[in-house]
Amino acid sequence: MTDPQSNPVLSIETLTKDYPGVRAVDKVSFSIFRGTVHCLVGENGAGKSTLVKMLTGALQPTSGMMKVNGLTYAPSSPGNARKAGIATLFQELHVVDELSVQENLTLGMERSRFGFLMKSDLDDRVVRTLAAIEPTIDPSARVSTLSAAQKQIVEIARAASSGASIIIMDEPTAALSEREVERLFSVIRRLRETDVTVIYISHKLDEIFSLGDAVTVLRDGKHIATKPLSDVAGRAELIKMMIGRSVFQNHIQRPSVPQEAVLVAKGLTNHLLKDVSFHINRGEIVGFYGLVGAGKTEIARALFGADKVSGSISFNGHVVGRSPKASIVSGIALVPEERRTQGLFTSLSIRRNISVMNIRRLSARGIFRASGEKAAAIEYVRKLNIATDSIEKPAEKLSGGNQQKVVLSKCLFAAADLLLLDEPTRGVDVGAKTEIYDTIRRLADTGTSIAVFSSELEEVLGICDRVFLLFAGSLEAEITNGPDVDAAHILDVVNGGMRRVKK
Amino acid sequence: MTVPAQAKAKLAHDRRTSDETFITLLVVCVAIGLFIVASFFVPNFFQLLNMLNLVTNNWAIITLGVGVTFLLVSGHFDLSVGGIVALSGVLAVWLSQSVNGANALSTGLGLPYWLALIGAIGGALAVGGLNALFVVRFRIPSIIVTLGTMMLARGIAEVITQGSQRNTNLPDNFGLLGNMPLFGTSIRLPIVFMVILIVVAIFIEKKTVFGRLTYWIGTNSVASKLSGIDNDRHLTHLYLFSAAIAGTVGILLASEFKSGFSSRGTLMEFDALVIALLGGVAIAGGFGSVVGMFFGALSLAIVTSAATGLTLSPDWQFILKAIAVFLAIMTQTWARAQRNR
Repeated sequence: MTDPQSNPVLSIETLTKDYPGVRAVDKVSFSIFRGTVHCLVGENGAGKSTLVKMLTGALQPTSGMMKVNGLTYAPSSPGNARKAGIATLFQELHVVDELSVQENLTLGMERSRFGFLMKSDLDDRVVRTLAAIEPTIDPSARVSTLSAAQKQIVEIARAASSGASIIIMDEPTAALSEREVERLFSVIRRLRETDVTVIYISHKLDEIFSLGDAVTVLRDGKHIATKPLSDVAGRAELIKMMIGRSVFQNHIQRPSVPQEAVLVAKGLTNHLLKDVSFHINRGEIVGFYGLVGAGKTEIARALFGADKVSGSISFNGHVVGRSPKASIVSGIALVPEERRTQGLFTSLSIRRNISVMNIRRLSARGIFRASGEKAAAIEYVRKLNIATDSIEKPAEKLSGGNQQKVVLSKCLFAAADLLLLDEPTRGVDVGAKTEIYDTIRRLADTGTSIAVFSSELEEVLGICDRVFLLFAGSLEAEITNGPDVDAAHILDVVNGGMRRVKK
Repeated sequence: MTVPAQAKAKLAHDRRTSDETFITLLVVCVAIGLFIVASFFVPNFFQLLNMLNLVTNNWAIITLGVGVTFLLVSGHFDLSVGGIVALSGVLAVWLSQSVNGANALSTGLGLPYWLALIGAIGGALAVGGLNALFVVRFRIPSIIVTLGTMMLARGIAEVITQGSQRNTNLPDNFGLLGNMPLFGTSIRLPIVFMVILIVVAIFIEKKTVFGRLTYWIGTNSVASKLSGIDNDRHLTHLYLFSAAIAGTVGILLASEFKSGFSSRGTLMEFDALVIALLGGVAIAGGFGSVVGMFFGALSLAIVTSAATGLTLSPDWQFILKAIAVFLAIMTQTWARAQRNR
């Protein structure tokens, strides 16, 4: 083999992508070498997905360039990228269940004459490719009989047999069990032996250490480092590169709250959650932090009564968690994860959105008081500084940040004693973010308890008094927030660090 | 707190009319426009009696349209109303026919008339309850459920009437409800029932919590549930109300014709759907009004009766309806897109 250092299969040079008001990717340069597994890591919002979208032609860079095998590469569409030999494997599977493995492998590449399929050497080639990377899959088997990992392997084989020299995998293990992950990894290793390059994106640091040859770290859109994983001194160094140091300066220490538990949850268990117990004090802001799939949304929905769980939840001494309706009556409100599909009535006016969670306050004997609704809408538009010229504007015409403020107003109008905020600032601009944080602090100061469920460490450490760390459905640790909090330790825990110690 | 009163007033006041007002106005204008055009071309069209007839001849469809409109706004279909009309009418007759008839079709259960009416409404509510059960509990799409119950209701009516009709051995007062003239005019009780129902429905739609819930659920049922609305309970109420309205229409029609006929109300479910759509009710839910539905019904009535007035053969009625539906829906879609550009 030639010296790999002289022969980058993909090189990225001062690549930049600007969005209005934000630079998502900032002058990133690095190279990827043939026949390696190259990992891409970074926190949410570090610019990984923007970078990948530029690689696959889904987005056009603002400036900078990319080269594949030394030739300029400027894909204008995903089809373009495929022609250049770059294939992408997404989290969702793109296989046809009703067809056989072999038919799936040749899908879209069939030769035909006058509309009739022709036998070609293509079939032999795909069968050989599949046999090389995973001999246990029968090419004539129906895809619906395969496991999730096997389906993913079929997709990889399809990419490899179509002549792709670079395969991008975005969180490919998100839906796989531990054993299936091992199987996928051995396929990726065999793929590497056939000189295919894999760009591997994952939040799970363990996977990166067991699979990767080299790693590129991104932070706030900037390139931090690219080095062989053999040169990385363990998870601690990787975490340090991912989070940097000066990120959490915006934490404002709040006066400590009295130990007066308003909500006590004991032994919450469902398909994901494993015996989760905690309590929340009056006027306290607590955070639930973990990776995607760690169980944050499940806890929020369980407390609100939107999903069934076993275990007990008591709020102010009463049992809650039966239904959203009952929860709201007893003083719990939820800002759901998906704003547009779960929180907002997009085609209705701001006025009609804000009133929905407290109909009792706006009605007498079934008659709705329109004047009260109007007054409430004006009050919250002013209080939360919602940018609109009229309360009659449909919610869909507002920006993401203002929409989120409407959803928040809805919950505030419900006069809840406990607010559950699931990803409260996802897709919200910086200005609105700060305003939402201020609102949260102000509410807590007046005695409202608040639980923030977030996958952004900066957010959790910026506003919370206490943080619960989640990993794979269990509550791993509880930390008290403060200026000397150890962010590296937190990232280690949510990546399953406590598990390794126990073993 | 330092926001000047002027700014506050501005926030509350919107110069733009809402989409809802806009579409309702559009529907009203279309109805009036059609009436004016028809008055020019059709002899004897522009007469007070004719205007009145446009409404009174369609009282059954408009009445059914009220329940259908509420369900459509909540995002659900009710195709069972025509079947319920047949079932409740046949039940009212069968339950009150005396027991000593000459043959099977003239022999009933001999119940007092008032008890027969309760039985008929009970049968209608049973079908409505079945709709709610399948839609709410088993999460089956309402269009399939109500298509099934439509056939079930009419099927039961067919069995009771042996595919024909029952019109003998009825109590003396059976024809009273459907034919009773009121206020010494030609206006009969069913018309009064329709008018009262529309007024009540508009009040419910605009002024009550019940009306509001319907719009919230129709706009986003996931968000409404997470906002503490009991979607299932509300939908059950809507299906029961729609069935009760259809049951009442069935009783009134049976009384008017003094017969229980298993084919009565055929295609009424589609007519009710058509007038709601012509009236600007969104088929996907969350949008529409009873007033719109009423003027949608007028538009359709004007088109069909004008055609008859122009001595166009009644065979053309369906094609005219089809054209009216396509035109109305295209105009609405276009008008709303223009506004939201």
